[in-house]
Amino acid sequence: MTDPLQTDPDGQALVAPPDDDPPSDFTYYAFAQSKNREPARLSAPSAFSTMPDVLAGRYCIERLLGAGGMGAVYRARDLLAQQYGDPDPYVALKVLNEDFAESPDASAVLYSEFCLTRYLRHDNVLRVHGFHVDTACERAFITMELMRGLTLDQLLCERPLGLPWQELRQIVLPLLDALAYAHGCGVIHGDVKPSNVMLSENGVRLFDFGLGRAEEGVLPGLPHLSRERFNAWTPGYAAPELLEYGQLSASADIYAVACVIYELASGKHPFRHLPSTQARDEHLHVGLQAPARLPKRCWPALRTALAFDTGDRAITAGQMRDAFTGSSSWPWYRKIRPSW
Amino acid sequence: MAVVGHWRSAARTHAGKVRERNEDAFLECPEQGLWVVADGMGGHQGGDIASQMIVASLAELPLHGNFDDRLIGIRRCLHWLNRRLGQELTVNAGRQDSIIGSTVVALLMEENRAACVWAGDSRCYLWRGQRLYQLSRDHSLQQQLIDERQMNARQARAHPGGHALTRAVGAAEQLTLEVLELEVFAGDAFLLCSDGLYQGLSSDALGHALSLALPAMALKRLFDDALRGAARDNLTAVVIRG
Ligand SMILES: Nc1ncnc2c1ncn2[C@@H]1O[C@H](COP(=O)(O)OP(=O)(O)OP(=O)(O)O)[C@@H](O)[C@H]1O
Ligand SMILES: [Mg+2]
Repeated sequence: MTDPLQTDPDGQALVAPPDDDPPSDFTYYAFAQSKNREPARLSAPSAFSTMPDVLAGRYCIERLLGAGGMGAVYRARDLLAQQYGDPDPYVALKVLNEDFAESPDASAVLYSEFCLTRYLRHDNVLRVHGFHVDTACERAFITMELMRGLTLDQLLCERPLGLPWQELRQIVLPLLDALAYAHGCGVIHGDVKPSNVMLSENGVRLFDFGLGRAEEGVLPGLPHLSRERFNAWTPGYAAPELLEYGQLSASADIYAVACVIYELASGKHPFRHLPSTQARDEHLHVGLQAPARLPKRCWPALRTALAFDTGDRAITAGQMRDAFTGSSSWPWYRKIRPSW
Repeated sequence: MAVVGHWRSAARTHAGKVRERNEDAFLECPEQGLWVVADGMGGHQGGDIASQMIVASLAELPLHGNFDDRLIGIRRCLHWLNRRLGQELTVNAGRQDSIIGSTVVALLMEENRAACVWAGDSRCYLWRGQRLYQLSRDHSLQQQLIDERQMNARQARAHPGGHALTRAVGAAEQLTLEVLELEVFAGDAFLLCSDGLYQGLSSDALGHALSLALPAMALKRLFDDALRGAARDNLTAVVIRG
C-alpha cells in the first residue's frame, strides 16, 4: 500500500488533488426519503441566537431549511399537534432575520406575506397555517405547510441540460396556472425565481410572497409595502421596469417566470443571469435561441414574455399556459409583433 | 492494518475575542462518517447564512449509496449552494455590494477510504506517524503568490490582502471544488479548522494537540492555545480519530 502523500521539506504534504468538474447529469432522486439517521451535531446559528428552541411554546425548531435576503425558514415540530397524535406534526416556520426584524415595518411585511398567501387558494400555491408572535423573544413568524422535494434551483443543478418536454410541462403548466390564478385574484408575486418554486411530493408549489403586492381594491387595509422604503429584487429575474423604477406589475412576474421556464427547458438562463437592464443594453435578445427541446408552438409566447419592454411583453400568464398546453389561438393572429 | 470501524470526534466553535458574531459553522456526524467546517463571509448576517446553510444542507444528504455516490452527493450539494448563495438570494437596495459566501472543508470517511472536499482557506490536516500533513491547499491570494510568484510563506503573508480568497461557495458563478482521496490507516487523526484557528498556531502546536489520544483532549489543547493568543477571528475545529 502506498501512502498517497508526498512530503515537501516543510513536512507538509504536497498534494495535487484533481480539480473538480461540476457534476453533470446525475440521476434524479426527487423524493428519496432518508433512513432514520443518528443525530448530527451542528453548531448553533449565532445570528438567531436570540431565538429560543421552542417558539410560542409550541413550535420546536429542528433544522434550517433555507435562508434568504430577509428571513430564515426552519422545519419545526408542532408540539401541540404531536400531543394529539398527529401523524405528521411538522411545519415550516419563517422568521425574519434579526437585523431586519428590528426595523419597524418588519412584522407588517411578514404579515403581508402571510395574508397574500392565505388569500390564494390554489393547489399550486403553498398553504400557510398561521401568523404568530413569540412574545418572549418579540419575533413574528409564519407557520406553513412543510414541503418535501426540490426547489427548482436544486432541480436545475441536478439537470444542467434542462428537462425534456414531458417533464417540463408537468412543472410549467401548474406554475403558470398558479400565476394566472394569483394575477386573476389581483395578487402579484414580485419575486418569481427558481428558489421560490418547489417541486414537492404533492406537486408544484409557488411560494414566498414576501415581495408580493395586492392590486388596488384587493385586500384593502393591508399595509402596502412601499417600494421606496423597501426595495428588493433578485438580479437575474427582475424585469427592467422593476430595476429602474421599482415598478411592479403582473408583467414583471411574466418576465421572471419566462426566465425560469427558459432555464428549465435549456439548462441556461436566457441572459446569462445578467440583470435585465444590462441584458437589454447589450442587446442580448438578438441572439436568443429557442430551447431545442421546447415544442415550436411555445416559443412565440415564451419569447414575448421575455421582452425587456413592458409594451412588447404583451402576454398574460393564462395566455402563456394556453400556448404551452396547445389550446391557444395566441399568438397566430397577433396584430402587434414585438419590435425585436 | 486495522480496519477502521468507528470514528470518534469532537468539535467546537468560538467567536474569538474580538468579533461579536460567529460566522463559522461545523457539522459533526461520526455515525455517518461526515464532518464539515464552513467559514462564512458577507455582511448583514450573510456570512452566517452561508455557513449555516452549508452545514444544514450537508447534514440532510441521503445516507444510502456507496462512498462514491455520497461523495458525488456532497459535491452536488455544494454546487447547488453556490448557485443559491450567488444567484438566488433577494437583494435589498443599498445592500447589493456584499457577496454572501463561505469556505467549506468536508471530510467523508468509510472504512479505510477518506475524501476531503474543499473550497477556500479552511483546512484539513492529517496527523500520521508523528508527522503533520496539510491535506488541503488554500484557495487564497497568499497561496497563489506562493505557487505562481514563488514567494515564500512569510513574503506572501506580508502581502496586502493576501488573505483574500480565490474560491468560496457563493463567490463566483462557477464553483470549482478540490477533492483529495486517500487511504486511512489506524492511528490517523484528522483536523478540520477555519483560518481563525490555524492562523494563531504553529504546526508544532497543531501536531502536539493531534498527538493526544482523545479528540476531546486534542480539541481542548487547540482552543486553549488559540485563545491565549489574540483570537481576532472566529475559530472552529473538528478533530477526528479512528
Ligand atoms: N414551506 C417550506 N417547506 C420547505 N422548505 C421551504 C419552505 N419555505 C421555504 N423553504 C426553503 O427555504 C428557502 C427560502 O425560503 P423563502 O424564499 O420563503 O425565504 P426568503 O427569505 O424570502 O428568501 P429570498 O427573499 O431570498 O427569496 C426556499 O428556497 C426553500 O428552500
Ligand atoms: Mg425565496
